[in-house]
Amino acid sequence: MTKIGLEIHCQLTKLESKLFCPCKANYREHEINANVCPICMGLPGTLPRLNQKAIEKATIIAMALNCTTPEKIAFFRKNYFYPDLPKNFQITQLNIYGDTSVGGSGMIMVGDKKIRITRIQLEEDPGRLIYEGSSSKNQITLVDYNRAGTPLVEIVTEPDFETPKQVREFLNILSDLLENLNVSDPSLEGAMRADANVSIEGGNKVEIKNIGSFHDLEKAVHFEITRQNSLHSRDIPIVQETRHWDDKRKITISSRSKEEELDYRYFLEGDIPWIKIGKEVREKLKSEMPESISSKKERYVTKYGIPDQVADVLSSDKFYSDLFDKSQTGNNAKEIANIITTDLMGLVDTREKREESKLQPSHLKDLADEIQSGKLTRSSAKNALYEIVKNGKELSQIVSDLDLGNVSDEDELLKIIKQIISEEPQAVEQAKSNPQTINFLVGKVMQKTKGKADPKLTLDLLKKEIG
Amino acid sequence: MNLKISGLEYIEEVKNGNISAEDFVSATIDRIKNIDEKLHAFLQVNSKAVEQARDIDKKIKSGKKVGSCFGMPISIKDNICIKHSKTTCASKMLEKFIAPYDATVITKLKEQDAVFVGKANLDEFAMGLTTEFSAYGPSRNPWNTDYVPGGSSGGSAVSVSAFECVASLGSDTGGSVRNPASFCSAVGYKPTYGLISRYGLVSYANSIEQIGPVTRTVKDAAFLLNILSGLDPNDNTTIDGGGQDYLSEIDSGIEGKKIGIIQEMMSEGIDPAVLAATNDAVSKLEGLGAVCENVSIDMVKYSVASYYTITATEAGSNLARYDNLRYGYDFPVEGFEFNSYISKARSKFGPEVIRRMILGGFVPSSGHAGKYFLKSLKVKSKLTNEVNEAFKKYDFLIAPTVPILPFKIGEKIDDPIALFLVDINTVMSNLTGIPSISVPYALSNGLPIGIQLLAKHNHDKSLLKVARALETTVRLPEVPI
Amino acid sequence: MVTEEEIEQVAKLMKIDVHDHKEYVEKVHDMINYFDILDSAGVEDEEFTMKDLPLSSLRKDKHIPFEDKLIEKLNNYKGSYVRAPKMV
Repeated sequence: MTKIGLEIHCQLTKLESKLFCPCKANYREHEINANVCPICMGLPGTLPRLNQKAIEKATIIAMALNCTTPEKIAFFRKNYFYPDLPKNFQITQLNIYGDTSVGGSGMIMVGDKKIRITRIQLEEDPGRLIYEGSSSKNQITLVDYNRAGTPLVEIVTEPDFETPKQVREFLNILSDLLENLNVSDPSLEGAMRADANVSIEGGNKVEIKNIGSFHDLEKAVHFEITRQNSLHSRDIPIVQETRHWDDKRKITISSRSKEEELDYRYFLEGDIPWIKIGKEVREKLKSEMPESISSKKERYVTKYGIPDQVADVLSSDKFYSDLFDKSQTGNNAKEIANIITTDLMGLVDTREKREESKLQPSHLKDLADEIQSGKLTRSSAKNALYEIVKNGKELSQIVSDLDLGNVSDEDELLKIIKQIISEEPQAVEQAKSNPQTINFLVGKVMQKTKGKADPKLTLDLLKKEIG
Repeated sequence: MNLKISGLEYIEEVKNGNISAEDFVSATIDRIKNIDEKLHAFLQVNSKAVEQARDIDKKIKSGKKVGSCFGMPISIKDNICIKHSKTTCASKMLEKFIAPYDATVITKLKEQDAVFVGKANLDEFAMGLTTEFSAYGPSRNPWNTDYVPGGSSGGSAVSVSAFECVASLGSDTGGSVRNPASFCSAVGYKPTYGLISRYGLVSYANSIEQIGPVTRTVKDAAFLLNILSGLDPNDNTTIDGGGQDYLSEIDSGIEGKKIGIIQEMMSEGIDPAVLAATNDAVSKLEGLGAVCENVSIDMVKYSVASYYTITATEAGSNLARYDNLRYGYDFPVEGFEFNSYISKARSKFGPEVIRRMILGGFVPSSGHAGKYFLKSLKVKSKLTNEVNEAFKKYDFLIAPTVPILPFKIGEKIDDPIALFLVDINTVMSNLTGIPSISVPYALSNGLPIGIQLLAKHNHDKSLLKVARALETTVRLPEVPI
Repeated sequence: MVTEEEIEQVAKLMKIDVHDHKEYVEKVHDMINYFDILDSAGVEDEEFTMKDLPLSSLRKDKHIPFEDKLIEKLNNYKGSYVRAPKMV
């Protein structure tokens, strides 16, 4: 019986400011140590100033994961020394005096498997360390506090996972969920990190830390299961410990540090009173929550008749579902879904491309209209889309600039067809005997017209001409 | 120049044009130069003080709006941050620390045109009762320089009582404003927890400490409370005091008020002179129309143990940030490994701070938290309930501020438990968050005795009234320095 | 009872170099013994109450950069990183 549990840390990158001070929550654009203030640097005499929206966003996450949310929440200090920790304690949440973290006892479905969420807590991220110096003599640790104080939500699961694949699926679902809730952008570097714990056959639990990516997490868990099974089969007991994932050697290594058991001396953070999140507040937050992914999918399938797999892609990606919902008018829903999931996808498959894209929902509407009314072929639409994403011009402008209008005038088309027929005598002969191969000629016509020929009309005329 | 006036008297004199802020502040600086070598109330003196007073005089002359302090010279305990000033907390660990921001109380006083004459000495990181634990040498009691001035805000109390300034800001965690005020015959005020912002006060025990004024008169304390109190977005523990004027109706008297005499603070180990003074104060208050009765608050017996457990825990955590990496003193990191560097750097803490930090690592640790730390929190809670019960019957509570007379420098420094018990009358107010004040009342062989009054949570205005009433019954001699 | 080892352990935890064990051990020992008085306080069933604040009174989510170049005012500053000892 393999049991895997996860501890996921997710930065609330959609907040403007840090958890306890008004420095920027998303530190990535700043020069070293330029996104700091006396509070997040832990200067003497400073006090934490709690960010109201951080609590709201964390509560929304708890609700989306079907957790119970308490009337009052509290903050605690976790005391230990480390160079990335400006106060040498972390302000975090615990449940030692009743339920006082933002959420608990939740669950989420991963396929058919129910994964229980133990608790959700708000805490601050430490700073970042880099190591300089080659020899052990001149080694120095360099500290950048830009990230110190960034709001983090820690999501802890019960050890309900049975396979690394399930873990990976869950992480994908969670990423999409967090993005959909507009609390975090998981694609930002370092925005989502996870640790795992693994046990087999009811044995000791081993924690794995220092996992850089979700891809590595799957590998690390897989390695650890293998390692434990190997030990077990040789009757060697599995030690309860913390292991580090070594990315270079792709193994987990025991991290028996000189620190021994760290005692964190947890106690209530005296600078932050308990915060009352009354019933009305929680109800308001719930009513203002963005529509869930599953609800969107359901709506796309039943209301607009979007095929299941297409609806999956649309609903699980906030960028796409926003575009879809803002551009569709019911009649054009299928077409828009089609455009997004076939033509658009390749043009906006990275965060940079999406940030630079000039596409607006109105563009999609126009495109769908033109396609549905037969004025633009799918091929031309694809070309137009490329231009729209690049420079955001109106569709009508692009169509005239690039002469993308359908060639649906019969005479004109006939002229081109006759030309192709004369250019491709062999293909014509083949088409006479094997009607399937006429598509080659259709393709040639499309090539000649730069994709603007109406395909159905072309096919009809070709057939007539060839006989 | 007569420096022996109260803050309100000073303001009147300046407003009436009888004295200039510059002359007064200049005379104050001279006074400091003359006597502070003996008293060591100051760690730093502000070399720009006279210049700043001169600027305020200019403002007054030009008819522009002037802040309510009119250049009043005030000393600030050196654990309160003033921008661009050294803030050492009387520790070698912060020898070179220059604060990059003003504490809220400093901002407020600056807005009211106060002049800061210097930073006052304290027990290192506010941990102590005698100012003997300052890393820069003790302060001395101006009533008898062989004696301790009390602590931890010793420098504040000395500077006020020796006329080196008109008022001072100290901090009170377990009596650190009231105790030295009592030992030096000054008024020491600890407000309701949350009434004055702690932003900029270097934390020692953040769940119970408050900044409080040390002044010559009760009215001066009320005047400063008006300036300093108020909700502060920089401090989530501040409360709404109700926007009251703490000075108005302060002389309205105490006719019919009921006062409880805390029995547990009048018994074991109390000096007979202190007992006599307290009983005398009680009869004076009865003479003014109050009804005084004995009251028992059982948890007082456990309050010292609870206090030291809680404060050690919080101090251990609050002082963890002093790892000398971002600020502190000169000690380069090259060649060291992390743990050994930090331990070595932190060996610059004084022995009392080190003892408290070891305690603070011990009492909340996983093997021991239940017996010590958690139990102390429960004592704190029960004590609060008992006090609230008492206030259902009484308007105020009374007891001596310190059960013993000031003692000689060096006398108790090697006996931590004896020192603990000096606090027994004052920690209750911090643990429960209620306001309290020490009013100078008597002298015994030339050594000052203060009387402590306490009121319900957020009843600071009435507390100041009863303190004022008590003050009117006393006439004390001048400090002999 | 507190042992010398326990005090040493705690000193390590608190990152303090304690040279004179006798000076600290004895005094801390006495202090901890004094705290035994708490056992007779009879507070086992006591609950602690905490003051609470409504969510709406908290800081609004706005980015306000700190006005000064703070890092230049601090210790151990070379280039723009804060320098710390090596980690083992």
